[in-house]
Amino acid sequence: MGVFTFVCRESADEWTAKQLSGELETSAGSTYELQRKLVQVALSSDSSGAVQSSFSYITPSSAVFQVVVGGASVDGNEERENLTLVARKPCFGLPTACPTCLPVYVYLRFAHLPLNLEFNLIHPDSDQIPFVESGNYVAYNNERGGVIWSLKEDGIVDLDSDVRGIPEWVSTKAMVESWLADAVMYELWVGSDGKSAYKIYYSDLPWPIGKILYLKQVRAVKQLLGITSENAERREEEIYRRSTSAYGALSSRLGEESFFFENRPTSLDAVVLGHVLFTLHALPETSLLRSKLLDHTNLVKFAESHKAEYIDANSSASVPESDPSTSASRRGPSQWSSKPKSKPKREKTEEEKKFRRRTKYFLVTQLVAVLVFLSLLGGSNDAEVELEDDDDALNYD
Amino acid sequence: MPASPDSYPHFGQPGKPIPNIPTPESDDPEDFVEIEEEEETDDFEEEEEPEPMIPDAQMHMDRTRMEALFQRLSSERVPVRVHDVIIKGNTKTKNSLIQSEVEDLLKKATTFQQLLRAAGHANARLQRLDIFESVNITLDTGPPELPGTANVIVEVSESTNPLTGDIGLFSKPKARSWSLEGSLKLKNLFGYGDLWDTSVAYGWGQASEVSAGFSVPKFKAFPTPLTARISLLSQDWLKFSSYKERAFGTSLGLVSSGNHNLSYDLSWRTLTDPSQMSSHTVRRQLGHGLLSALKYTFKIDRRDSPLRPTRGHAFVSTTQIGGLLPDFRSLRFIRQEFDLRYAVPLGFYRAALNVGISSGVVFPWGSGFLNTPSQLPERFFMGGNSSPVCTLGGPTSVLGFKARGLGPAETRRNAEENLNDESSDSSGMDFIGGDLAVTAFADFSFDLPLRMFREAGIHAHAFACTGSLTKLTENAHREFSFQKFRESFRSSAGFGIIVPTKLFRMEVNYCYILKQQEHDRGKTGVQFSFSSPL
Repeated sequence: MGVFTFVCRESADEWTAKQLSGELETSAGSTYELQRKLVQVALSSDSSGAVQSSFSYITPSSAVFQVVVGGASVDGNEERENLTLVARKPCFGLPTACPTCLPVYVYLRFAHLPLNLEFNLIHPDSDQIPFVESGNYVAYNNERGGVIWSLKEDGIVDLDSDVRGIPEWVSTKAMVESWLADAVMYELWVGSDGKSAYKIYYSDLPWPIGKILYLKQVRAVKQLLGITSENAERREEEIYRRSTSAYGALSSRLGEESFFFENRPTSLDAVVLGHVLFTLHALPETSLLRSKLLDHTNLVKFAESHKAEYIDANSSASVPESDPSTSASRRGPSQWSSKPKSKPKREKTEEEKKFRRRTKYFLVTQLVAVLVFLSLLGGSNDAEVELEDDDDALNYD
Repeated sequence: MPASPDSYPHFGQPGKPIPNIPTPESDDPEDFVEIEEEEETDDFEEEEEPEPMIPDAQMHMDRTRMEALFQRLSSERVPVRVHDVIIKGNTKTKNSLIQSEVEDLLKKATTFQQLLRAAGHANARLQRLDIFESVNITLDTGPPELPGTANVIVEVSESTNPLTGDIGLFSKPKARSWSLEGSLKLKNLFGYGDLWDTSVAYGWGQASEVSAGFSVPKFKAFPTPLTARISLLSQDWLKFSSYKERAFGTSLGLVSSGNHNLSYDLSWRTLTDPSQMSSHTVRRQLGHGLLSALKYTFKIDRRDSPLRPTRGHAFVSTTQIGGLLPDFRSLRFIRQEFDLRYAVPLGFYRAALNVGISSGVVFPWGSGFLNTPSQLPERFFMGGNSSPVCTLGGPTSVLGFKARGLGPAETRRNAEENLNDESSDSSGMDFIGGDLAVTAFADFSFDLPLRMFREAGIHAHAFACTGSLTKLTENAHREFSFQKFRESFRSSAGFGIIVPTKLFRMEVNYCYILKQQEHDRGKTGVQFSFSSPL
């Protein structure tokens, strides 16, 4: 917590401010700009928590401005007044590892809003999460088109005001939110062995509950993506093909810029950043989607640089560093490794089919042989028994 | 013929079996008659005696002999020993089951009187198994070479139709309310006296349960009856606390004897909020949880009637410990409830003064337990219309307040479209329950002067009750003080009429709220309240 008191003076249409007991000082053309600059200066030297400030005139040309940083969040009730994002568990070096929660987190970080991050570990099958709450206001993800849309509608934060009318922006966003979101969902639940999904969603639930919910979710995802046992391969190809073309389009759109449109962060950047970070960090190294992404180095660089600037700089101890995979990822984009196993998988399935067919023939032959043997033996047994009876009968005579 | 002093031979005489308890012609003590289930008219197996007597004279002699016998049996201590217990008539039921119910009782008897009483007890026990249509216990002479012994023949006839259906009003401790229940029972499927049943229960407005269970009174070496139940329970608290609870689990009754009852619960509990209007506390608790808890109940009820106690006392203590699995992620808490009731008769008009106090506390345990909140379904909620005199289920009822209408409340989410709400009494508050609950009441009941009412069992009462619900977890106990605790008691008083019917017990009360806090839902006025007759 820090309290910064500044004495402000006006001379020749310019306001200057100097910290009362310290070295900070700045100047600006109006009191409004001066206050904004002073808040930024105070935050840059003590960036913990909420900000309260008050400006009061002493004479028409002098004033006192006080900034209190982080002073009001000791009481639980007051803490609830700040913006709180409830998301899923952090792991793999990400502040939250769920692919739907991460874009919302990145969006709020782009907006430079002071944010509390809380986690819900016990409701993996809820579509209300992630949600943003502040006091009695709550924006759920399953209402009105999502959290980001609700925040814009309710006037809390809107980064898209300039770009919303650009048709390219709209179609790029639609492509990302449909093709890439489907690809991640497929890869997380169906395409990989499920360890990542288990770790993110079910590692805090007791084992029987976690297992049952995981199986339910896999079935739900297959239904959602329209995957059945007949068209599984065709759908997989289609999903990967679409994600490849999406990555290509994004990569050419981005070029060497740091943002997609107008050199400013928008919700499109948040969604793409969330997707790329999730694919790079949370999916296993054998993932095909991940290897496709690594082909586009500018996307990877985009993700890494923004992660360093917006996420790592602001994160506190909420990001665990105990995963061995994170240490590998910090080496830099040039050292991403990927081991796609798609081709060997296809060959194996054909071999497996041949093997299974042969096993079936073998078993059937064995069974027939056993049956023949038993029937013959049964017949010969009867013959033997009759002989014995005759013997006995002879004995009794 | 007078009874000879050495009348042992009466029991050991060959060919002269002891007759069954006779028809009430003789002026003998009552207990002789009670043993028999069915009246058997002709039990006198009279062997043809080669005595050339006139039939009239023979009958007269027999009668005097019988009278003398019963005279002896009723006045003197006639020593007798049970030699053998013969069980007849059971095709499906295992011998071991019947033997275990009756043998120890019968073998302990040393005199004839004790034997008769023991036979009566044994009959009652077999009836209580609920698997026989009729039970007959016959006392017979023992083998001729052993004088002074008797054989006991237990003849049972099993129900031909093992399937029975049932509909009734029961009070369900699990759902903490009473409910209408329909059940199908299969009795004695395997011969061990086992009872299999499935039931569907619908509770008062909020709860519904589908369950199946079985119970076996005595299985091989286990000393106490075993029960197991698997159930799917769903409760709807959207109007009161903005959540819906669904629990799927099993419960095993481990020990159930006399005053003690121990059971184990394992269930998967899910809290959801389809209305999406819940308050902060409820939002944080939505999700899945595994409940694994051991529950111990100790109960003494020495009141003369559970529905209208006029004298006696009752004490119940329930302890529940959750989180016993080695898995640290199951819900961990300790819950303790006490109930104390006392009834004092006042002499006139069958009047009685009932006083009672109930209290309960729930607290989590485990690492960081001072900061973790208690589980929402395990907390105490007060309110509702059940009568505190009859229910012994913990601190739940303060008359005059609506269901869950008392205690800590939290504002719900802001609704953007705040049109006229469907539920005008929702007032946007969720009742989130408390960790420490205390209720107390005093009830003065008396008969109405009209004889018509007295015969129907309708009586009147005047009462006063008070209750308090406070939060202790999440560091709220630091701000706890006796001053605040005393101020948190709400109270109400009133009078009313109680109408007991066969299906339920109805009360019509006029309640006046003496003290309530800001968000409580107490209403002064006339109220109806129902409770189950059990």
